[in-house]
Amino acid sequence: MTPEQVLGVVKQAVATVLELDPSTVGRETRFRADLQADSLALVEIVEIVEETLAPLAKPGFHIDDEDLDRLTTVGEAVDYAVLRL
Amino acid sequence: MVTRIALDLLGGDHAPESVVDGALLVAQSTPDIEVVLVGPVEVAERLLDARGAAGRFRLVAASQVVGMDEDPARAVRAKRDATVRVAARLARDSQLPGGADAMVSVGSTGAALAAAVFTLGRLRGLTRPALAAVIPSKAGPLVFLDAGAGTEATPQMLAQFALAGSAFAGVRLGLASPRVGLLSIGEEPGKGDELRRCAYDALAALPINFVGNVEGRDVPYGGKADVVVTDGFTGNVLAKGLEGAASMLTEMFTEALTATPERAATSQPMLPVLDGVTASMHPDQLGGAILLGVRGVVVVGHGASSPKAVAACVQMAAQAAREGVVPQIAAALSDLRDRTRAATA
Repeated sequence: MTPEQVLGVVKQAVATVLELDPSTVGRETRFRADLQADSLALVEIVEIVEETLAPLAKPGFHIDDEDLDRLTTVGEAVDYAVLRL
Repeated sequence: MVTRIALDLLGGDHAPESVVDGALLVAQSTPDIEVVLVGPVEVAERLLDARGAAGRFRLVAASQVVGMDEDPARAVRAKRDATVRVAARLARDSQLPGGADAMVSVGSTGAALAAAVFTLGRLRGLTRPALAAVIPSKAGPLVFLDAGAGTEATPQMLAQFALAGSAFAGVRLGLASPRVGLLSIGEEPGKGDELRRCAYDALAALPINFVGNVEGRDVPYGGKADVVVTDGFTGNVLAKGLEGAASMLTEMFTEALTATPERAATSQPMLPVLDGVTASMHPDQLGGAILLGVRGVVVVGHGASSPKAVAACVQMAAQAAREGVVPQIAAALSDLRDRTRAATA
């Protein structure tokens, strides 16, 4: 999967959970500061991203909770996922 | 027709004993409700054996519990076999023979919320579910939300709560055009913090019967609004404050009325009247609050629930499932969304 495709998956997950237009979400968008995503919303986004990418990723693909705290922007989340696919 | 309720065996300060005793109260009083106990099977069997009720309930195994000190969302994500998560799965599978029509937990509210969101999914139009309680007021019952599902809210979320609360009051209270009030510190539109001031404008723009700000005293007295909207932090503080005040007043009246043998003798006929009034405000009768915004019926009770309160929660969930509260709210939200779009187009 290309980084652009992963970005599409993350944007769609964000749009689904927060009921936003995906076109308003970009690599620089910050989950908490720009989108006011709380911890439940973040975990919900992660669950959708994991579920969508798991069939295309290496076995055991998983986003760790500890790493979740360090992912502040959509772009960081995309780079993190691409590295582990 | 039997209504099946998945009951979290390990939720609550007095679990699992109070949960099992609550389930037995339901079985004795309402045979058209089937309680499904969700938790460690050996624990349920031991408690049921001790009460002479072996085999009385369907048991569904779940081995993990979400503690009150854990981050609910992360704990529920990590614990796939948590009681709340398994109970939510049963509610999701309501169309299957082994499913349930609703779930009830008197444990961690955050865990029940997370399990419901992850497993059942959210209704479109509500980015964050809210806990709606039907509480008694002097003027009659009113819907109060958010009673504590979340601690942070935006003006847009309060507007969503107003839509959902209006739809719920339509179903539960049978009102064609429920009056919706925003809880603040004064009736004037400019009163309150930034959240309240922005939310006022957002609610005023909705196609609902918004009656403006209401104050804390308008909740116990009622009469100004059928639906009172606030954020979960404020809502939880107010709900617990009202509960404590009602309990304190009851105790003070009872002590005053029975302080001397003479007073006790003359006030004896009044005590049942007082009990009747205060009982209507007790969690044992009120049950819990329903989680609005998820695709299933989820009732969350007080952590300190007694067996009677657990039973009241189960009965509340069964009523909501039978009334079709969730599809009706989904339809009402969809209709309100369409009207909102039309009004803003």
